[in-house]
Amino acid sequence: MATIKESIKVVAVFDNGIKPAKFKWKNRVYKVEEIAYTWVSRDGSQNIIHFSVTDGATLFELAYNQSTMKWSLEQTA
Amino acid sequence: MKAPLIMHIDMNAFFASVEQRSNPELRGKPIAVIGSAKRTVVTTASYEARRFGVKTGMNKWEARKACPSLIFVIGDNQKYIDTSVRILAILKDFSPRIEAYSIDEAFVDISGTGSLFGSPETLAASIKDRIRKDLGLTCSIGIAPNKLLAKLASDMKKPDGLVIITEESKAALLRDLPVGELWGIGPKLTMHLGAMGIRTCGQLGAFPESILRERFGIIGERLKSMGQGMDASPIVPMGEEEEAKSVGHSTTLPADVSDKAVIRRYILKLSEMVGARARRHNLKGRKVSLTLRYPDFYTFSTQRTLPSYTNDTHSIYMTALNILEAQRLRSAVRLIGVSIFDIAKGSLQMPLFEEDRKKEKLLEVMDSLNMHFGEFTLTWGTIFEEYESEAGVISPAWRPSGVKMVNVK
Repeated sequence: MATIKESIKVVAVFDNGIKPAKFKWKNRVYKVEEIAYTWVSRDGSQNIIHFSVTDGATLFELAYNQSTMKWSLEQTA
Repeated sequence: MKAPLIMHIDMNAFFASVEQRSNPELRGKPIAVIGSAKRTVVTTASYEARRFGVKTGMNKWEARKACPSLIFVIGDNQKYIDTSVRILAILKDFSPRIEAYSIDEAFVDISGTGSLFGSPETLAASIKDRIRKDLGLTCSIGIAPNKLLAKLASDMKKPDGLVIITEESKAALLRDLPVGELWGIGPKLTMHLGAMGIRTCGQLGAFPESILRERFGIIGERLKSMGQGMDASPIVPMGEEEEAKSVGHSTTLPADVSDKAVIRRYILKLSEMVGARARRHNLKGRKVSLTLRYPDFYTFSTQRTLPSYTNDTHSIYMTALNILEAQRLRSAVRLIGVSIFDIAKGSLQMPLFEEDRKKEKLLEVMDSLNMHFGEFTLTWGTIFEEYESEAGVISPAWRPSGVKMVNVK
């Protein structure tokens, strides 16, 4: 996995949890086909939800910071 | 009173299974989870890799030799910790008495739960279903009248097994079972017992207790009970664990180091980790120890007693440094560890001098900033000269809460 750590824009569904549906990275929109796994980490007092997702071809790790309400692309395969 | 019934849950190839869930490309393939350090070893191998003989503790070269198609995945401790916490939350829906034994194992007291959840088989199936549905992971479950037999049962069928040992079935099971299969009887003890002609649990259970006591001291009696499948150790529910006896951190260096200036920086970093964790849990220690391991794995550990209890980073660092300076290093160092022990809880004494009160205040501010913004947001400048963060290995003593909940990333 290559480390990216860039802010991205994400379309997500907030319903019984958070589910990213699409995201835009480097002017390209990726549709989330599968949320393979989710987990939570903490950075100080901030909760960060991680999503391991695929667009059907590539694996991405997205992260949502619950304090700042910002999304980032952490890694990609 | 209901007969005691204990369940032991062991997650199958835990770290590797979590990685296979996280990355669909890895499913069904031989993978090995490794640390991010340069000189890392396999922490967990998937069942597909185990079929080729890949084992925990192998270095990358050995693992690759056993399985040329092996895929190495750098582990993510935060992912495993969160998954473990979610598994424990599932178990809490079935019993209030859960002991988090390690990051991938737990004991559950299921005595008297029959009216709520049905037979032990039904309960085990419900737990397996929840873990599979919520996390996509499998586990092996052992159910027995005590922890010793429950652990033995869960080891008997992997992966995704369920084995129940009853009071009635245990004698037949233990009769010819090698003693080394029992939880707590390691290779050395197996060898000593073998030298006495004791190879099976049946033989151990029937052996005269007086001879076992004479040979092994106080544990002789316990060994005989173990051979008979008896174990009175209670479930220790989360939050009721006994107070930590020590607080320590160690790190394997990216490369062997002989430069004492570099070693000092690592000692400061470790002292800060120890001090910060002790302060977070309001613990102080009166003894400080420094551990050094050399490339040939010779390990040296020495301690110093302080005039008073402390959790002050600087006091811990200076004491560890005094130990270092009194040593002539045999060669370059592979691992460094710092611990405080002889632990007491609570603030024992207010600092007498203004300067000490200022130091305590400074640490309070540092800790509160680091709690809010993340570890090492504000720290000692000296640390940054050389230190390069690498994910640590989760200690077997890890627990989801309390002083043993160590931030490892």
